[in-house]
Amino acid sequence: MNLPDYFLADLPSSTELSSTLITEACLTLKRNRERYLVQRSTASLIGAIAAVAADWLNPENPFRRTALEKGPAATGFSRETLETGLDTLFKTITPESLQLLVLQDLGHVDRLERLTGSEIEPGSSRLAIAKGPELLVHITAGRLPNPPIMSIVLGLLARAAQFVKCASGTSFLLRLFGHSLREVEPKLGACLEIAEWKGGNEALENALFAQADCITAMGEDSTLAAIRPRVPPQVRFLGYGHRVSFGYVAREVLDYHLFAKTVAAAAHDVAAWDQLGCLSPHLFYVETGGRYSPDNFAEQLATELDRLERVQPRGQLSPEAASAITARRSFYEVRAAFSTDTKIWMSQESTSWTVVYENDPQFQFSCLNRFVYVKPVQNIEQALRGADTVRGRVATVGLAAPSTKEHDLAHRLAVWGAARVCPLGRMQSPPPTWRHDGRPSLGDLVVWTDWERCERSFL
Amino acid sequence: MELFSVRVVAVNQPDLEQQVKQNRMNSTGFEAFSEQLCDFILRSTASFCSSQRAQADTGDEFNDLAVKLFEIQYQSVSAYRRWCDIRGKNPGNVKAWDQVPAVPTAAFKELDMTAIEPAQRTTVFYSSGTTMHRPSKHWHSPVSIKTYERSLLAWFRPHMMPEIGSDQDASYLWLALTPPPNLAPHSSLVHMLGTVMAEFGGKETVFAGQPAPDNIWLLDHEKACKTLERAAMVNTPVCILTTAFHCVELMEYLDKHKRAVRLPPKSRIMETGGYKGRSRQIPKKDLLSMARDLLGIEPSYCVSEYGMTELSSQAYDLVAGSGNDTTDVEQSLAQRCFRFPPWARIRIVSPETGRPVTIGEPGLLQVYDLANVYSVMAVQTEDLVVPKEDGFQYINRSPGAEQRGCSLMAK
Repeated sequence: MNLPDYFLADLPSSTELSSTLITEACLTLKRNRERYLVQRSTASLIGAIAAVAADWLNPENPFRRTALEKGPAATGFSRETLETGLDTLFKTITPESLQLLVLQDLGHVDRLERLTGSEIEPGSSRLAIAKGPELLVHITAGRLPNPPIMSIVLGLLARAAQFVKCASGTSFLLRLFGHSLREVEPKLGACLEIAEWKGGNEALENALFAQADCITAMGEDSTLAAIRPRVPPQVRFLGYGHRVSFGYVAREVLDYHLFAKTVAAAAHDVAAWDQLGCLSPHLFYVETGGRYSPDNFAEQLATELDRLERVQPRGQLSPEAASAITARRSFYEVRAAFSTDTKIWMSQESTSWTVVYENDPQFQFSCLNRFVYVKPVQNIEQALRGADTVRGRVATVGLAAPSTKEHDLAHRLAVWGAARVCPLGRMQSPPPTWRHDGRPSLGDLVVWTDWERCERSFL
Repeated sequence: MELFSVRVVAVNQPDLEQQVKQNRMNSTGFEAFSEQLCDFILRSTASFCSSQRAQADTGDEFNDLAVKLFEIQYQSVSAYRRWCDIRGKNPGNVKAWDQVPAVPTAAFKELDMTAIEPAQRTTVFYSSGTTMHRPSKHWHSPVSIKTYERSLLAWFRPHMMPEIGSDQDASYLWLALTPPPNLAPHSSLVHMLGTVMAEFGGKETVFAGQPAPDNIWLLDHEKACKTLERAAMVNTPVCILTTAFHCVELMEYLDKHKRAVRLPPKSRIMETGGYKGRSRQIPKKDLLSMARDLLGIEPSYCVSEYGMTELSSQAYDLVAGSGNDTTDVEQSLAQRCFRFPPWARIRIVSPETGRPVTIGEPGLLQVYDLANVYSVMAVQTEDLVVPKEDGFQYINRSPGAEQRGCSLMAK
């Protein structure tokens, strides 16, 4: 299918964008929001969003078909990786999960429409209403469509007009999503703009920031540091910087019954979006003392990744990215040839997957694209000491542990500062209620008005 | 299906006594090889000087020498033997130079890739870098250093001093933007420059660099400037030897202080990529333009050199003063191509598949350097290059190539 020129990102790449164009676009978005969005009920918005998401799960959906046919060339992900990733994402967006999100962050399902009470303040003394931004600007980064799509969903729920500026080369899936929304609900589509340009274009970005009342930005810490000073003081800025994730495997699940399943779940987390998300594991800490050892785990993980390569192949890499993997492999190959503390398993004639077993709890950043470390540890304390260098920047810990142990481990990880703990295998599929970097994603978008009512009096 | 993995079940301590015995047996092998190599160097450079073709008709001889050297190194460098055994390669089944297993440069960081016994190791070159990274080590003995020097001079001369012996020969002032060898004894580049200056340096040789920690150095701008100004005044052509980084630093200094010089004709620069991992990348065309504008040196006299601690031979992308008489930077660049000497061959392999690439396709450079007599001949570099005719062009590595955090890799 050929997408019509509707969003700025649909225009040919040679089109020059100007700051005037950006300003005009923002003003139009605000007008459309007044006309079409502010008086929509939350329930109807939830219904609309969930309908779009459900549509995406339908194999006949033309937008989904285009995403899978043209996606590999446009995004670098294989068709199978795209399919798994998009299905996983859209399956989590249901009427129930969205209602839960509104309730969780705002306390009442009607909070955005009228003054209401809540469970703890049942309608008598204090009511409150929440309001989303007039224009919400998103600066996105990376190749995964999940963060920007969720940002758009959240913005719609908050009844904000939205301008999404994505990193150059990443607009393909976003445009498809935008058009799929417009197809079902043209008036909602009119409150959304998608544009693509290389970050740091001050003229365009300053025009954008001048119109916004709330900005979300994702990316490297240096990117955020460059944006922050340019945000006008009255504008709310929500920055999501560099984050990493890892897995933790308790020895009790390394037994005959659970071993293979646990490793399969771990491999799934590595393969999802080719390990390129902030929720993707760089490494697995695996406890010693189980029926199977950590290096058994590593070997089995290699077998699983090899199997996955056949059904969900890793995407094509640039020579530079492939060289990064080759260079790292060489380094560990040398180590592995001369020490029992290092072992390496690799795909042959490709850089498709690599597992490095390293007997050292020190956290290692992976070069990603399905390159993962397995590190033996005696217990959670040793793992957390090793991960001290990334403390405060851990988005998710994928946990595989028995029911007798998982609560304590989750509590320990929470106290340490992990923003999310989830079962191994689900690292890349957070629900909409996910607190992004530990913050309420919808809650952070709104401002409140409280009404403290008089007590009944004789006056 | 059997997965490919690299791991040891138990580490066998090499029998050192056995190794020493083996090395003594092999030392005559090494000496004999070195003699053959030096003979090959003489003949092939003479051939190059007359025909300007580096690889002309040396194929079979190179192959014989390579297979012979592999056998000696397999027997004498225990770390290398282990590497080859893991790959199932040994003198029994390696019959051609491109079947010889290449070691990654990382091996030089982690291990002693040398056949030279500790007692004989008189020199060691370290690669440059920050203290976070363990540097590569390349060991030398008095004997191996001589071979190294002979190799480097043999290829330097026809590229940087092609006029020697002709009526175009002149006397130069030599300026190295590095410390002298006695102050930077662990830099193979500085040793090379010292060797070259000692061999060809006539009237005056100047080192305008000072050592600093981590095997890097600081440029003495004033000393360099004054040397150049003096040479311009007395009309003596200059040969400048430098890293690209310091070359640009010097020229920016000249520009900032409005002290551009017009060096006499036939002045020339040899610049080398210098430090791996230095954050600043300088587009080659900017360097050439600056050399023309601030030093009066034409692009055809700016030669790039490619070398590394792990290798003994160097590649050059131009013969000084050759090429079309062009002052156009773009044209000059388009014609260039790095060429190793006849005793060092290259293979360029896909970083994805490990198989040789086709012309124009970028790949990782492997060098089979016969002059690496006492270490390992076949080296896998981390440099992405594009094959061209009988050589390669260097690609500027894109900044995103290595993901963040790789500095954690080294201990």
